Amino acid sequence: MASSPRIKVEFFYDVVSPYTWLAFEVLCRYQSHWKMDLVLRPFYLGGLMNATGNRPPMMVPKKGLYMHKDLLRNAAYFGVPLKAIEDPFNVMIEKGTLRAQRFLTVVAHEHPEHLEGVSRELWRRIWSLGEDIVEDESLHLAAKATNMEDADIQKCLNMMNDSTIKLSLKKTTEDAVEYGAFGAPTIVLHLNGRSEMFFGSDRFPLMAEMMNEKWKGPFPDMIKSSL
Amino acid sequence: MAALMRTKVELFYDVVSPYSWFGFEALCRYRPHWKMDLILRPVFLGGIMKEAGNRPPMMVPSKGLYMQKDLLRNAAYFGIPLKLIEDPFHVMIEKGSLRAQRFITAVAHERPEYIEGVSRELWKRIWSTGEDIVETESLHIAAKAANMEDSDILKCLKLMNDSNIKQALIKSTEDAIEYGAFGAPTVIVHSKDQPEMFFGSDRFPLIAQMLNEEWKGPLPDPIKN
Repeated sequence: MASSPRIKVEFFYDVVSPYTWLAFEVLCRYQSHWKMDLVLRPFYLGGLMNATGNRPPMMVPKKGLYMHKDLLRNAAYFGVPLKAIEDPFNVMIEKGTLRAQRFLTVVAHEHPEHLEGVSRELWRRIWSLGEDIVEDESLHLAAKATNMEDADIQKCLNMMNDSTIKLSLKKTTEDAVEYGAFGAPTIVLHLNGRSEMFFGSDRFPLMAEMMNEKWKGPFPDMIKSSL
Repeated sequence: MAALMRTKVELFYDVVSPYSWFGFEALCRYRPHWKMDLILRPVFLGGIMKEAGNRPPMMVPSKGLYMQKDLLRNAAYFGIPLKLIEDPFHVMIEKGSLRAQRFITAVAHERPEYIEGVSRELWKRIWSTGEDIVETESLHIAAKAANMEDSDILKCLKLMNDSNIKQALIKSTEDAIEYGAFGAPTVIVHSKDQPEMFFGSDRFPLIAQMLNEEWKGPLPDPIKN
């Protein structure tokens, strides 16, 4: 008897986005629980916002204040060591993450087996340790923390400015726009020949239902003892 | 042994907001399950948005398109008979819900035991059967469907234009703004040292944690004796 095929789940992400880190960790944890093919797709959130006329939520002051609390609560709930950025405007808007996303695009092309690890290390730098993620040295350190070989890291750094890589990042961002994305994370489930787009890190119960899977909360590996 | 005190939970809502309907029903269902005092506080969402410099999400076209899907998925998940509004700009922005919110405020003053039912009937009109909620007759029909007495309904319809009712709605809206609200639903949990604000209908696992309770999904089991 043939078993049901794995559901392709495309995860569009930019490490500038903290909520996206939460969703990323959840989907990585659920890889062994749900019958899915998780496809990591680094894109450029800044480009997406421009294309859709959206604005970062912190542009509404009260949203920004709320987000501060909401992020810390969610970080605790999801078990992700997120800490508030001291100068968010400078880090997220002025410096941004274009170079980090280009680097991830190279890693996706050249060493896809390290994409998950490098993404995590970059998130850790910007959203846990408060460290830079746009300088070459920062990218090198992040990749090294995932045990990539020095030679491979250097190759990836050299490739970052190739037009093929820039175009690839652009194309991924355009793919997200075509799915109707307006922010991050954007998660696309491919079921029965159709694509279903979800936004945010708070729709997992709905996604689970759609995939005929069970949402067991943020820690699916934890075994609950029955009283 | 003294019983644990019930935690005060304020729900600030406007029937123009569909996500507020989800939050409202979920909290009403959890009344027998959680040790909380649920206080329903009708506000004028337009006033909250204006003060916060916020815009309705549907002003970003792709957000509006996504919201249509998201609303229907959530409606199924929460077990609420929500249907999409045919002309949302006209219904939600041009007509709006100020009169409906004033009427609910009058009911809150005169017959608070009916505030839940009347709110629900108004949500059903705008967000399920696609009917008007600003005309006097519409408000009357909604209140009747909530089993209010005709005489009480007429009294509330009269009261809604009084300055003290208008002021009460303004005050409720200002209270929400003071808690930091920028949209609806806004849920305030009064636990520990300070009030904690939550936005949206997708934070119930976190709200439950703060109440030291369990979130068992949108359809909690009936209480077993």
